[in-house]
Amino acid sequence: MDLPSGVRNFSYAKDMAIFRTKAHWALLLLLLVLIFTSPLYLGNHWLSVANLIGITIIAATGLNILTGYCGQLSIGHAGFIAVGAYTSAVLTNRFEMPFLVGLISAGLLAGFVGMIFGIPSVRVKGFYLAISTIAAQIIIIWVINHWTSVTGGFNGIPVPPAEIAGITFISQGSQFYLIIGITILVIFFAKNLARTKVGRAFVAVRDNDLAAEVMGINLFRYKLLAFFIGCFLAGIAGSLLAHWIGFLSAENFRITDSILYIGILIIGGLGTTIGPIFGVIFIRLLEKGISFIAPTLESTFDLPAGFTTGIGPMVFGLVIILFLILQPRGLAHRWQLFKASYRLWPFSY
Amino acid sequence: MNLKKLLKVTGLVCLALMLTSIPLLGAGCDSGNKVKVGFSICYTGVAAEKGRPMGNAKLDCMKYINEELGGVAGYEIEVIWRDNEYNAAKAATIINELMDAGSLLFTTNSSAMMTASATTANREAFPGFAVFSTPSLTNPPQHIYAQMPDYGDDWAAFANYYLDNIWQGEGKPKMALHLLNNSTGAGARAAAELLAEDMGIELLPIEEHDATTISEIASLTRIKALEPDVLYISSTPQPTSIIIKDAVDLGIYPGVTIGLGHAGITSQLIELAGADVVEGVYGVYPTVNWDDDVPAMEKMKEYCLEYHPEDYGNMDYITSWAEALIVVEILRLAIENVGVDNLTPQAVEEYGFKMLDNFDVGGLHGPVSYTEGDNRLSKSVRVFQITSGEISPITGWIEAPQIPYVFD
Repeated sequence: MDLPSGVRNFSYAKDMAIFRTKAHWALLLLLLVLIFTSPLYLGNHWLSVANLIGITIIAATGLNILTGYCGQLSIGHAGFIAVGAYTSAVLTNRFEMPFLVGLISAGLLAGFVGMIFGIPSVRVKGFYLAISTIAAQIIIIWVINHWTSVTGGFNGIPVPPAEIAGITFISQGSQFYLIIGITILVIFFAKNLARTKVGRAFVAVRDNDLAAEVMGINLFRYKLLAFFIGCFLAGIAGSLLAHWIGFLSAENFRITDSILYIGILIIGGLGTTIGPIFGVIFIRLLEKGISFIAPTLESTFDLPAGFTTGIGPMVFGLVIILFLILQPRGLAHRWQLFKASYRLWPFSY
Repeated sequence: MNLKKLLKVTGLVCLALMLTSIPLLGAGCDSGNKVKVGFSICYTGVAAEKGRPMGNAKLDCMKYINEELGGVAGYEIEVIWRDNEYNAAKAATIINELMDAGSLLFTTNSSAMMTASATTANREAFPGFAVFSTPSLTNPPQHIYAQMPDYGDDWAAFANYYLDNIWQGEGKPKMALHLLNNSTGAGARAAAELLAEDMGIELLPIEEHDATTISEIASLTRIKALEPDVLYISSTPQPTSIIIKDAVDLGIYPGVTIGLGHAGITSQLIELAGADVVEGVYGVYPTVNWDDDVPAMEKMKEYCLEYHPEDYGNMDYITSWAEALIVVEILRLAIENVGVDNLTPQAVEEYGFKMLDNFDVGGLHGPVSYTEGDNRLSKSVRVFQITSGEISPITGWIEAPQIPYVFD
């Protein structure tokens, strides 16, 4: 834990605190004020982008706990998000249960399903585990498509807006408070999880599972726990996604989305709490930038319709290549370097 | 300077140029004397084979309307289009962007992307229509419309044609369905399951496929074992081409009659499968053919050949050219009825969409009307057959009656 030059702590509690200086608290306060007042000056469009960013951060944080901290590669994350989304949709639509019941059940069921597909992780790892999680994605989507009486099958299922204590979250602004509130809780949870015995056990399993086992870490327990937590958060994200879009179809949860989540972690930085946040914001804003600039270029330079639509795939390919070459540890590492140089400035050496 | 530093500097310069150019690009775009419409187009993604020609057509047509006809009622039409990449979450943000930007209405190419946009649009009473539609979008009718008959109507039209003109055997013909695992397939399934028994058709167990399928040998082997008389496919061209090629390899076709829904029968299918493979395949489509002598054909051909010759012969280009003409007519009616100063999405729906009465889209497809309780704007289709690499109509317009679906 690095601190600004000349600052030191005098107790263990202070040393372990996330926010340790007045500047930290001031920046946190500023950030929270900025976030929670944003519905006042952002339109529906940017609020919807923020909502999507929030939901994606929750899901990516779950995958980060599973893959970044515990080292269990999952390429079926969109499938686990689908479990949460459909659980919430079915409970609130077909059984008319409250949103909070749907939300928590979504997390629990997705976590439970994740644990089932995580069982092979005890025996296999790396590519082999990746294949078993791909199987999860395929099986989950197949079940959703064919369990028509419950999920609506290919016709999909409408999802009512979220409602808590008589407050209905219909507008993008109201949904923003719900989604961002939960996102902040999830980030706080993930940050603290990494500092607990469980978090350290995850890292030990990731770095060398044999050594971890010799030290007394129960691999079966901790690997399944990582699957449960990672998929629980995926389920929470799925539930929020369902109530945000308002209609579910299994097409919303593709294997390409699962791969995108891996890409987000690579760009953001695996095994850090801030990495998924950076990765998600970077990817979602890049998408928006491209979707805006392509039509603008066409109208400005009178290009034939559709001429610029190749920009998106090209830029994404380029970004991933550039990150692999220039920043393999992701934006989180760049952020650490920036903070370090800022703290030492003007006495860097 | 080493490579790493050079790349960093280049990247930063590019980023700076992009950021500074955005306001400059937007400058000079005066919104006065304009009416705005939004298009959510799947230009990229798994449905790009259809989204691209359709996007090209509607943007070409808008160019024609603005540059040659002076817009609508003297007002230039400002098109805000976004590539949804056939991604539901992205479509959900785009619909908010279109509303925020002041669009008066919006359209999507695909039923799946309209499904992702519909909840928000219906909540906000923001009217729009999908070119390709599935029954669940318009049942019950709210603020979303269908440009043409839906995938269920296709099935019903083909089934009727098959019974009246092709089926020669005794008893009920056995029909196999091979459906895309999304709303394109779901629409046909809904109609088939609702109507087949009353029509005297025995439905075999339904097979499904993915948009990215590369082989359907296994599913077609199961179908072959059931000895169907007719195979109906409701899908997009790429998977349809795989299914028909595999059917040929397995000896199912020729022999069994093959019918297609309107999402599948385009020139793309012939290019992908080969003209000899798809020879004799039937399909339902709601527009005229490329060489038909109808009023709008000449201008459409001119623009297509000038700007997108690669789309020439693609029926999806026709549907979306017609889509743009309908957008213009809706705006014209709304401006005529309430004046441009009072235009809101709600006014456009009430005095534009709902005032459509036998509007002729230059003969490109059946007349467009709004009927209370039926949000399908055009209600007629034609049956086509692929012969010698050409998609040729073999019937006149067939009315597609409203099917009494019940959805959640």
